[in-house]
Amino acid sequence: MLRKLMKHEFRATGRIMLPLFLILLVTAFGANLSTRGLMSTQYRILDVLGGLLITAFFVAIVGVCVMSFVLMVQRFYKNLLQDEGYVMMTLPVSVHQQVWSKLIVSSVWFILTVLAVILAACIMAFNVSFLGEFFQGLRGLFRELREIGAYYAINGTAIAVELIALTFLSLVAFCLQFYAALAVGHSFANHKMACSVAFFFGFQFVLQFLGGTGIFAFDALNLFDFLPSWQLNGMAAVHAVLIFCIVLVVLYSAIFYAITTFCLKKRLNLE
Amino acid sequence: MSVLECKDLCKNYGHAPALDQVSLAVEPGHIVGLLGPNGSGKTTLIKLANGLLTPTSGEILVCGMRPGKETHACVSYLPERTAIPTWMSTAQLLDFYGDFYADFRRDAAEEMLAHLNIQPRQRIKQMSKGTREKVQLIMVMSRAAKLYLLDEPIGGVDPATRDYILSTIIGNYNPEAAVVISTHLISDVEKVLDEVIFINQGRVVLQSSVDQIREEKGMSVDELFREVFKC
Repeated sequence: MLRKLMKHEFRATGRIMLPLFLILLVTAFGANLSTRGLMSTQYRILDVLGGLLITAFFVAIVGVCVMSFVLMVQRFYKNLLQDEGYVMMTLPVSVHQQVWSKLIVSSVWFILTVLAVILAACIMAFNVSFLGEFFQGLRGLFRELREIGAYYAINGTAIAVELIALTFLSLVAFCLQFYAALAVGHSFANHKMACSVAFFFGFQFVLQFLGGTGIFAFDALNLFDFLPSWQLNGMAAVHAVLIFCIVLVVLYSAIFYAITTFCLKKRLNLE
Repeated sequence: MSVLECKDLCKNYGHAPALDQVSLAVEPGHIVGLLGPNGSGKTTLIKLANGLLTPTSGEILVCGMRPGKETHACVSYLPERTAIPTWMSTAQLLDFYGDFYADFRRDAAEEMLAHLNIQPRQRIKQMSKGTREKVQLIMVMSRAAKLYLLDEPIGGVDPATRDYILSTIIGNYNPEAAVVISTHLISDVEKVLDEVIFINQGRVVLQSSVDQIREEKGMSVDELFREVFKC
């Protein structure tokens, strides 16, 4: 059933995101024309056109990024908590499947948005020598990695993977924070949206408060006094911090997920 | 076995009781009118049966189970408002119902849609309010469910559409199933009902067969309703 939910979720979101990606790529092509001489002709109208094409490209980038985010919130709100909720919440599927379908589809659109923006940037910057320079750059990168040794090459790659994982999981956690705030806010009889906004900032405050006090508490523990022989080199410390952050993000994602599913199961209150 | 059973069911909104000690049972093969004035608790009862609300106390069982994804598979629910996704085309809506409900009869739905001259590519948002309600009803009645819960199916539509809706319900429901129709428009639905449940201020005040009311009280359901709920 999760697969079917995702199929219809992709249908609902794809009709908005795919045309936006197309617009982004078309504006990238237009911006490419501008960078390839449209703005340096003797004709003023072509200068203006070039400027407009560049502006359109940046507006399209912002538009696609904002839309993928807005769609994530809007689909959860409209599809589960508004009128469509009467159909969706009476399907023979579990609340967990409902939330996972939204979460997975939103995450896929986030990843596709990043890839589309990268592709658009490549199209904008593309010229005959671009690909050559790109591969030359890659060759140079690998050569340097060989020179600095396997230790840094492996650790550098691992740090990159950890950073990408952390970014992705933070986005998922951010989605779940919105879902939890909307689910809690809409369990009230009145002022549902105002309550949702208040809960979002409330969650944010609690997270920052716990994060801040957690750092002070960790510092106050004086772990190194208890473990004087425990030494961590710089690279291991970077890994430790990144993995700690990943665990922390997964933990508060799980809390927001639990709040969301609890409210949808036990405190659903459709208008 | 009853398809819908409530035992001392209570639901409060804050401190205000919406349902108070409701006990009733609906058997298969009956068309039951859930009748009561506005705010009497009809919609709350139907929402509880669909798992859209959680009881404050007591128990509600649908096909012998507490409301959940298993009961959703055997209940066909028509909400009081248009809830089908309006961005979908009719064909996409048919796919949607076909994907999630094993008992969905796509051919029956297509036949009814064709009868109304609704094209498969037509989007729901392009339709009038009345047509949207008809499409939603067609989807609901095209399922071979065990229990149909229809919340105000004829509220806010013209008399001709009311007739269409009632004939669609009668012509398409699974005869082995139970149909619960919630409404306060008694005279329009009376002719199709086997049984009635009167509900007022969250309490069941009467559960009886329509024939029994006619024989014992010598009046129609509409007349009895006016007498019971006289202001």
